[in-house]
Amino acid sequence: MGLTDLFNMSKPEGDKQKELIRQLAVLGVKNPSLCFQCAKCTSGCEAMKLLELQPHSVMASVKTGFLDEMMNSDVIWACVGCFKCKERCPQEMSPVDVMFILKNWYVMSGGSLPGDYQNLLQGILSTGYIQEPVEVLDKDNKGWSREKLGLPKRGHPKNINGFMSALSQLAAEKL
Amino acid sequence: MIRKLGFYPGCVMSAEQYAYEMSIREVLPDLGVELVDLENTSCCGAPLRSVNLLMQMYLSARNIAVCEEKGLDMFVPCALGHLSLVETKNRLNNSKELREKIVKKLKENEGLEYRGDLEIYHTVDLLHDVIGVERIKEKVSNPVKWKIACHYGCHTIRYTEAGRPDAAEHPSKMEEIIKAIGGETWNYSEKLNCCGAPLMVTHKEAALTKTGEKLKAVKDRGFDALAIVCPYGGRLLDGKQEKAGSTIGEKLDVPVFYLTQLVGLAVGRNPDRLGLNLNLSPVDRLI
Repeated sequence: MGLTDLFNMSKPEGDKQKELIRQLAVLGVKNPSLCFQCAKCTSGCEAMKLLELQPHSVMASVKTGFLDEMMNSDVIWACVGCFKCKERCPQEMSPVDVMFILKNWYVMSGGSLPGDYQNLLQGILSTGYIQEPVEVLDKDNKGWSREKLGLPKRGHPKNINGFMSALSQLAAEKL
Repeated sequence: MIRKLGFYPGCVMSAEQYAYEMSIREVLPDLGVELVDLENTSCCGAPLRSVNLLMQMYLSARNIAVCEEKGLDMFVPCALGHLSLVETKNRLNNSKELREKIVKKLKENEGLEYRGDLEIYHTVDLLHDVIGVERIKEKVSNPVKWKIACHYGCHTIRYTEAGRPDAAEHPSKMEEIIKAIGGETWNYSEKLNCCGAPLMVTHKEAALTKTGEKLKAVKDRGFDALAIVCPYGGRLLDGKQEKAGSTIGEKLDVPVFYLTQLVGLAVGRNPDRLGLNLNLSPVDRLI
């Protein structure tokens, strides 16, 4: 769907839009309705050239009420999270935060996690980290662990049950 | 001057980017910074922003609380981790609702007390602002006389509102450090470009293409080496040059160093203790 279509087809403001504005406010981010479509975000977007992400189009969709469509779209998962759009927006908007919230909603609605996200999440829930220390190989294929290098053991959540319980409670809560 | 800081390495450095951690531990005490290891740490939550922002902020807040328990300010050499912690600290200061929710969960589930009034440093501001370029310069015994490009990494410099170690559009602190240790450096058009690392989770090819383009730019601009301050970036820029090169049809062989390794070499620390044997890019060509 092109931009012209979106401008002609805007949906009336619904509960989801109000909820998005509320959640952005919790994060200290302004209402996306102030976006005036200058596309400065898209001109600097790190995922534009390779993955065709256009943050200003995401903002247009959100403004015109196409939240379900955006939330379930693959395109928001192309965001690198480099924060250039947030840094450069003349209206102090934050497409990157809008996309984080939409992705959160997709996950909360039961959407399956793309790519390696399931592994990252599983790692954090079971050990506290996205990955366990490994033995790395140097250029001569010799293996080096933290221990062999004389590095101390890394810290880990002491009360792992309390840690896991806090995270699972939060998984079901609204921002 | 001895400054004591809680050392929070985060996931990637403590799991595989050992060269960064080794060089930090080797170099900083010599420059007046004593590092205190923290025992109760976890992931900072940054990789979970897309999945659940509340979890992300909980994880960041708990690591802050773990450091506050020791009554110390914090050193977070990972760019993603630094942004996540600093941003969470700001957000909990600005939203009473959010603060109450997270603080209560920390207390009830893990018995942690969150205050959020500590300073959080990254490698760039620690070296440049706290230790100071002059102090580093005084210690130099073995200047690194190479042409070195600087790569800050997205999260080291953005976004300004969160309070970052250097300026978003024209960062210069790494360059000042490189000059202080004897190197030559200049700005290049691709300096602020992303290395692609966060895309490894969902779009591996695109991530490697970005890594390749970044390294090719460094090579084409006539630099001898690249200096970095981000373990997530190091994993690709140093560790995946062959794959990155093959995605863009180039042979890439750019020596990539952590900034702390370069400072270590310049101030005469033992190269074996700087983890230089662990860099997978051809650093031995220069040393």
